[in-house]
Amino acid sequence: MSTDGETDHKTGKLEFSLDVPFPSSSEASIALRSLSPDREPRRGGISKRLTVTGNTLSVRWSADEARILRVSVNSFLDHLSLVLETMETFGPPVDSGI
Amino acid sequence: MSSAAMTVVIGFEGSANKIGIGIIRDGEVLSNPRRTYITPPGQGFMPSDTARHHRAVILTVLKEALEQAGLKPADIDCVAYTKGPGMGAPLVTVALVARTVAQLWGKPLLGVNHCIGHIEMGRLITKANNPTVLYVSGGNTQVIAYSERRYRIFGETIDIAVGNCLDRFARVIKISNDPSPGYNIEQMAKKGSQYVELPYTVKGMDVSFSGILSYIEEAANKMLSSGQCTAEDLCFSLQETVFSMLVEITERAMAHCGSQEVLIVGGVGCNLRLQEMMGVMCQERGAKLFATDERFCIDNGAMIAQAGWEMFRSGQVTELEDSWITQRYRTDEVEVTWRD
Repeated sequence: MSTDGETDHKTGKLEFSLDVPFPSSSEASIALRSLSPDREPRRGGISKRLTVTGNTLSVRWSADEARILRVSVNSFLDHLSLVLETMETFGPPVDSGI
Repeated sequence: MSSAAMTVVIGFEGSANKIGIGIIRDGEVLSNPRRTYITPPGQGFMPSDTARHHRAVILTVLKEALEQAGLKPADIDCVAYTKGPGMGAPLVTVALVARTVAQLWGKPLLGVNHCIGHIEMGRLITKANNPTVLYVSGGNTQVIAYSERRYRIFGETIDIAVGNCLDRFARVIKISNDPSPGYNIEQMAKKGSQYVELPYTVKGMDVSFSGILSYIEEAANKMLSSGQCTAEDLCFSLQETVFSMLVEITERAMAHCGSQEVLIVGGVGCNLRLQEMMGVMCQERGAKLFATDERFCIDNGAMIAQAGWEMFRSGQVTELEDSWITQRYRTDEVEVTWRD
C-alpha cells in the first residue's frame, strides 16, 4: 500500500491517497463494490472517491480538516481489513473466469 | 429459477447489539447462530464498540451458520442483509461482509428492512393469517397492519422505544445486562409487591415513553434511598404501566381494522407479562394472540433470511450500488410485493 498526504494549496483542502494492490482485478473490483455504497457518516467536510485500475484499488480523500480526514481514513482501513479478511476466508471468487 | 426447486437464503443481522446469521430453506430454519454484545451494568452499548464486537465475531458466526446448516456457499440462492433501520457503524460492518460474500459466491444481494424481518419471521413461525402486529424492541415501538402492499404504521412511539425506556431504567438501578436488561427487569418485577403510580402517556393511536423514563429515574433516586419502595416495586410498576399502554394502542388498531389476531414481535415481545396482558385483552375481544420465543423475538439472522426469501421469490433484488445502509428506514417504505 502506498499513501500520500498533503494540502492542496489551491483549494485549501487536505488530500490523501491510498493504493491497495490485489491478486487480480476481479478481486479489486469486489472490494470496490463492497466499500463504495455507504455514504460518509459525516455530511460535510469530507469526500472520497474509489476507483480500480488494473489490480489496484485507489482511494482519494479530500477533507477540510485533519481530524475529519483521520476519522474517515481510520474507518476505511477498518472496513478494508474486514473485506480483505472475508475474501481470504471465503474466497477466491467463484466466477473468476478471468 | 424454477418454482419447483427449493430456495435457500442466508440472512445477516447486526443493527443493534446482536449479531446473527441464519439460513432458511423454504420456511425451514436450517441454522441461526447469534452473539450478543453485553455491556457492564449501568452502561448502554455505543455504535463504534458494537461495530467492533460484530467485526470480531462475524466471520466465525458465518462459518457456524453454514456448518450447522450443513451447506456450502454454492447451495445458497440469495444473500440477504439488514439495510436498516439501526445503528450506522454496526450496520456497515455487517453489510460489508454480506456484499463481499455475495460477490465471491456469485449470488444476488437483498437489502431487508429490519422491522419487516421481525414481521415475516413472526408470520412464518406462528402461521398467523393477517394479524395486527405489535413490534416492540429496544429500538422500535410500532403497531402495524398490512394493507394493500404496505405494512402500515397505525400507531408508534413519538419519542423513545419501550425497550429503550426499560433498558435505560435498568442502567439507573444498575442491574445486569446479561442476558438482557429487559429480561432482568421482568424477573425483578415478579418480586414487586407495591404499585407506584407513574405517568400514563397514550396519545391517541401513539405512545410516549420519555416522560415516564424521566419520572421513574427521579422516583428511583428519591424513593429507593428513603426506602419508600424497592427496585422490584419500580420494575413491576414500570412494566404494568408501559405494557397497559401498548395493549391499549394495539386494541385501538384492532378496532380500526376489524382484526381478530395479534402478533407480538421484537425483543420486548419475549416478556411473558406483556404476553399475559395482551392475552387478557384478546380473550375479551374473542381474538387470538400469537408470539414467538427468544430465538425469534430477539434480533436474529434467520428473520432477515425469511424476509429476504419472500422478497427474492417475488422478484426483488438489490444492486450493489443501491446497497447502502440507512439508520432511518420506515416500515411502510417497503413495497410488500409478496402479499396481495
